[in-house]
Amino acid sequence: MRRNTVAMITAVTAMLTVAPAWAENLIRIGSPYQTTTLDPIRSSAAGNIETFGQLYSRLLRRDADGKMQPGLAEEWTISDDGLELVFTLRDAKFSNGTPIIADDVAFSLTRAIKDEKSAYSATLAAIDSVTAVDSHTVRVTLKHKFAPILENLEVFNAGIVSKADVQARGEQAFVDKPVTSGPYEVREWRPNDRLILEPNPHYWREGYPKNDGAEFIEISNANTRVSMMMSGELEAMREVPWSQLAEMQSRDNVTVALEPSTMIYMTLLNERRPPFDNVKVRQAAAYALNVPAIAKAMTEGHAQPANTTLPSALNYHDKDFPGLPYDPALAQTLLKEGGYDGKELTVLIAPTTDSDKLATLLQAQWSAIGLKTKIEKVDRSVWWERVPAGDYDLAPSWWYNETSDPDLAVRWALCGSCGTYSFQTYYENAEVDQLTEQAVRELDPAKRAALYAQIQRISTDEVAQIPLYYPPYANAYARDLRGLTLSPSLQWSLEEAVLSR
Amino acid sequence: MTFLAFLARRLAGTIPVLIGISLAAFLLVHLAPGDPARLLMGDRASEEAVAALRDQMGLNNDLATQYLNYMGHLLRADLGQSLRFQRPVLTLIGQFLPATLFLIGYVMVISVPLTVILAVTAARNRDRWPDQFIRLGAIIGMTFPVFWLALMMSRYFGVELGWLPVSGFGEGFTGHLRHLFLPAISISAWLVPLLLRSLRATLIHEMEADYVVAGRSKGLPEGLNFRRHVLMNSLIPTLNLLGVMLAYLIGGAVVVEVVYAVPGIGTLMINAVLGRDFQVIQGVTVVYALLTVLITLCVDLLSALIDPRIKP
Amino acid sequence: MTTSDVTTQATKARVSTALAAFLSRNGSFEVLAGLLILTALLVLAFAAAHVVPADPSAIDFEALMAPPSVAHPFGTDHLGRDVFSRTVFALRIDLWMGVAGVAAPLVIGTALGLVAGYFGGWADAILSRIVDVTVAFPFFVLVIAIVGIMGPGLTNYFIALALVGWVSYARLVRAQTAVLRDKDYVQAARVLGYSTPVILFRHVMPATLPVVLVYATTDIVMIVLAGASLGFLGLGVQPPTPEWGAMIAEGQPYVVNAWWICLFPGLAAIVMGFGFVLLSDGLSRMIRQ
Repeated sequence: MRRNTVAMITAVTAMLTVAPAWAENLIRIGSPYQTTTLDPIRSSAAGNIETFGQLYSRLLRRDADGKMQPGLAEEWTISDDGLELVFTLRDAKFSNGTPIIADDVAFSLTRAIKDEKSAYSATLAAIDSVTAVDSHTVRVTLKHKFAPILENLEVFNAGIVSKADVQARGEQAFVDKPVTSGPYEVREWRPNDRLILEPNPHYWREGYPKNDGAEFIEISNANTRVSMMMSGELEAMREVPWSQLAEMQSRDNVTVALEPSTMIYMTLLNERRPPFDNVKVRQAAAYALNVPAIAKAMTEGHAQPANTTLPSALNYHDKDFPGLPYDPALAQTLLKEGGYDGKELTVLIAPTTDSDKLATLLQAQWSAIGLKTKIEKVDRSVWWERVPAGDYDLAPSWWYNETSDPDLAVRWALCGSCGTYSFQTYYENAEVDQLTEQAVRELDPAKRAALYAQIQRISTDEVAQIPLYYPPYANAYARDLRGLTLSPSLQWSLEEAVLSR
Repeated sequence: MTFLAFLARRLAGTIPVLIGISLAAFLLVHLAPGDPARLLMGDRASEEAVAALRDQMGLNNDLATQYLNYMGHLLRADLGQSLRFQRPVLTLIGQFLPATLFLIGYVMVISVPLTVILAVTAARNRDRWPDQFIRLGAIIGMTFPVFWLALMMSRYFGVELGWLPVSGFGEGFTGHLRHLFLPAISISAWLVPLLLRSLRATLIHEMEADYVVAGRSKGLPEGLNFRRHVLMNSLIPTLNLLGVMLAYLIGGAVVVEVVYAVPGIGTLMINAVLGRDFQVIQGVTVVYALLTVLITLCVDLLSALIDPRIKP
Repeated sequence: MTTSDVTTQATKARVSTALAAFLSRNGSFEVLAGLLILTALLVLAFAAAHVVPADPSAIDFEALMAPPSVAHPFGTDHLGRDVFSRTVFALRIDLWMGVAGVAAPLVIGTALGLVAGYFGGWADAILSRIVDVTVAFPFFVLVIAIVGIMGPGLTNYFIALALVGWVSYARLVRAQTAVLRDKDYVQAARVLGYSTPVILFRHVMPATLPVVLVYATTDIVMIVLAGASLGFLGLGVQPPTPEWGAMIAEGQPYVVNAWWICLFPGLAAIVMGFGFVLLSDGLSRMIRQ
């Protein structure tokens, strides 16, 4: 009897602790971000962006150094006035074996620009029309000169989809196994859990992808992600918590990479109503903050303090600009001069990673100069209603840019006449607006740099937003995984990755 | 009363409950602030695109119409369409339900025998050291935050010792057993104390009952007396208790599923809450409620079968 | 010996007999221990400002995540705030959260239970249906759904508790009232012509209170723990309010390299829970005799 019990316990223990052999080598990537759609034009949310890149090729491809390389287009010409681009397509096939022709390209791009469900058509807004000249030639005409056109044609929403399939299946084309043009196709999508990709057998790049496929697993809890990574249940993970970075780095089976991002943490100020309609009170709020100390406390020293209103990974970011220094005495003077009446101001935050911590830090420093605030945490969708409605005073948050060209970032965050009201702060400076249009039409890089530097100086001095810090992406990789990186615009180099097991 | 009559009455009684559940679930979603369409399309989507989507989702109809629509769909076992995923909610739930059911069964298999053993030990040694010890342990166990315990166990047994997986559901029956072991233990550690305290009280209450005392005075051996009288008569209260505790178990499982990334409906629900996928929150809540109703029904029927006052 | 001495002695004697009687009852030890813990916590909560070494919201960039030391007996958190001070200040919120969280369900549930149990018939039938519907939703699931949909924060949590928690009280009170209404003294009151509200609130309700209070003491523990779980899921109180659940949730990312941020508020929650459970255990044993 006793011996049987012991034998049974041993058997059960063995069954529980011995892992079964893994048949296939899928690269498992753990991320807090969800896949919510497989249609490249329907979302600009992180998570979706990451997988769009794996499923849909664009006309151009960005290499590991960020340079533009031929993609589905083998070559292209640009007219002298810069208004007409002609792309010549290579012989490529969709995942279902049908050829990718100019008609598909025209259909996909026009859809991204014109479809009412297109979540983010701003990248391609300068395009007047896209037409198929013949089966292998596409003509793109622009409304005006547009310096970042090639870069923007590489953005995720310019991914090429199959016209025939989308027209035949409609919405369903992006729910069940979409026809893809990129390195992978969908084996299985389990919403809210994981997306499993397998190599697209017809992918145009010879010899790629170099692996059996990947699994994007959604894990909202950071501690769970870390546990999984450290116990070998993941090959890669997004968003290593800063506090556990050193601990993870010290493991034999894991490396942590800090990869440049186009993210910026900042604070929005409601410039439609007092007190922040007054530039002096805005400056007071900025001078009150010890930005380097905040950057250090928030990320354990892994982020660079922000010196301008634009993310540091963007082209033409002005590294030499000193920014507004920490000067509480000056802040107090400015606060008085600005006529702040001692009213308690609302700091509006959404429950995202670290938002509590950041708001608490800011509140303490503002209260030190006499700026009274109360923190209000609301649901993310409520945040996105109250900020555009102007129902807040301060809103610490973050944003990032899909391209390394600064045009979109400026239009999003600093331009008052571009439809976004300077990220809903209603910051408006006619000179900045004019410089925005001038810079995007300027094709000479040196001159563009000067124009963007000017935009950054003006908007930082006038405190369009309070820039705080530039965090890198902190990703962890298994040591037996080679060649996987994440680009600043959230694209994985998945097709290059090799799992050595 | 015959068993069949009991069954019929019990089944009829669930109909108003089901209607109530549908109404409650429907109203729940209409408390919501914020615009689901905005969330669906991402932060930088244009106003026009968001407005178009609102229209398409029928968010502009009046409340009564929306409820009638909802009821009609429910009757056809249609829990609606996930706003975020453009898939039927039922499909999503079907995909996540097995892990939760397995976990609940697993917890029961671990915690029911454990509870009975501990409660019997405590009751038979009433006020002596094993009883004091077990009661103290139960009080401490009850006051532990579940997620904290779960987190600690995952780090220690999963990461440091590497004995068990810390996430997922696994493949095949043994895979499920392996992957859900830590989650099941985490829930049991918190559930057993709750069950234990009630069962111990019931047992002690029964031990003082007249017929047991009579049995004892007639010289019936203590062990036999306990098994024949005390345990048998404690069965129905225990079964009822189990029904109540299942509701707690299901709630506790939500948190533990999140900590261990178990693809169960608890994880689905939290993701839906964070992503404001109203139809899914609603659907999962309804499924949880139906699950509870079903379990309670089973417990009642089982009790009725055992209860000598109801003839089979 | 003066008369006052005699009275004092008599009082003393009476007190000591009462005490002896109390102590001889089963469960008295638990009640005393529970009360002792809770009184100590209550005193600590009121004296918080005088007891703690630092302002609970004071941020110190120089001492982020400092381990426990003489200056910071419980260490500092990720913002350099003193964990000891925060844990003590959180007592106020958590005691209040427990008591306030129980208050609304207790009042609503007791009132409904009284009415249903006393009048029976339609009132009872309707209440039973509502109870059946509410218990069909697992407590924590419904709380998550309500808080998740209405948005995070303490107020919404209380609303959720009031909507869900009253059921247990209503059931307890209803069952007892149904028995009590046929008792002699209640029937006597009826014969004497007392109005129904007077009978309900002066004669029936007091008799149901002990059981309700016993349940309430365990309920408080559940409410604080469920609140902590909500904090963990990101649906708890607004920052920078010191609250144990929120503190544990905030400290959760640092649990490996700065365990003290989570541990001490967790222990505090356990101590408070322990106090309430002991009290409830003891009371229920005393009632049963």
